[in-house]
Amino acid sequence: MQFPVRWVALAAAALLVVFGVVLAVQTRSEPSVPRLVLEHAPVPSFSLKNLEGKPVTSAGLRNKTFVVNFFNSWCIPCRQETPALKEFYAEHKSEADFAMIGIIIDDDASTVRGYVKEQGITWPVAVDPSGSASLDFGTTGQPETYVFSPDGVAVCGRLGASSQAVLDAWLRGARNGQECT
Amino acid sequence: MKSRKLVPWIALAVVVTVGIVVLVVRSRPDNSPAARARRLEHQLACPVCEGQSIADSNAPQSRAIRDDIPRRIAAGQSDAEIRAYYVSRYTERILETPSNSGLGIVAWGLPAVAVILGSASIVIAVRRWSRTPRLAATDADEGIVRRARDDVGGENEDGR
Repeated sequence: MQFPVRWVALAAAALLVVFGVVLAVQTRSEPSVPRLVLEHAPVPSFSLKNLEGKPVTSAGLRNKTFVVNFFNSWCIPCRQETPALKEFYAEHKSEADFAMIGIIIDDDASTVRGYVKEQGITWPVAVDPSGSASLDFGTTGQPETYVFSPDGVAVCGRLGASSQAVLDAWLRGARNGQECT
Repeated sequence: MKSRKLVPWIALAVVVTVGIVVLVVRSRPDNSPAARARRLEHQLACPVCEGQSIADSNAPQSRAIRDDIPRRIAAGQSDAEIRAYYVSRYTERILETPSNSGLGIVAWGLPAVAVILGSASIVIAVRRWSRTPRLAATDADEGIVRRARDDVGGENEDGR
């Protein structure tokens, strides 16, 4: 019996082509929606300190609709986002069920102190010197903003600067149990 | 006399045994905390960049992971637990080696399939070549050889 060697070679070549095509279509794109939001995951437990050394914990945000914004002083999009965050915080800070914190990543407290003063940031800012909170959230950059519902589930958020309109819509969605758009 | 014949075999056995022992000892991984941290840094990919491991990347997330790994080792976590933590945070894309499920199976399996197919092709090709009959000499071929020999023989006699 003549074994078709050419068919074996052809099958091997076809396998290689299929593998190449599969690899080619598996493009690695960075999602702008964080994993916590995609999975509607609970807020990771964190225990940090603010710029005055007072504790800022995830437990302190329980039963509130809260916003967590990762940022730092050297990130240009963070600077560009700050006016929207200021407007947003001024609009909602008096609401009893609302809370917002900023978490500093990859920056030092003294630089951030100056930055917070210069930018007129009035919401609580916590320092994450070891980066553990950033890793627990699975952040992929800055600014990265999350909105959590009162039961502590990540419902909205994104990597990149957010506008006030988007933040307002996310807050409404989180309060009403709606998906973010 | 018989024992002298055994000497090369004993020498070969000693060399093979020593080689295997050296290989086993040298392939045993260093499990010091620093070595484990270095190994994990190379097994994990930077979650925010392309084609760089945690060890090579200077991205903030990579630096945070580099700082975090020794803390987890000191806390008694195994390498598998540490890898699982980062997978839970950044999905399987953070692993430098393909997983043993999903598309990862193709990555692991394709080289094996290629080796098997290549070996099978070589075996089949060799068997086919060995089965090809040798060409039998025809009367005309034999005549050519005979004439050539005669010519060479004649030249030798003339030259003597």
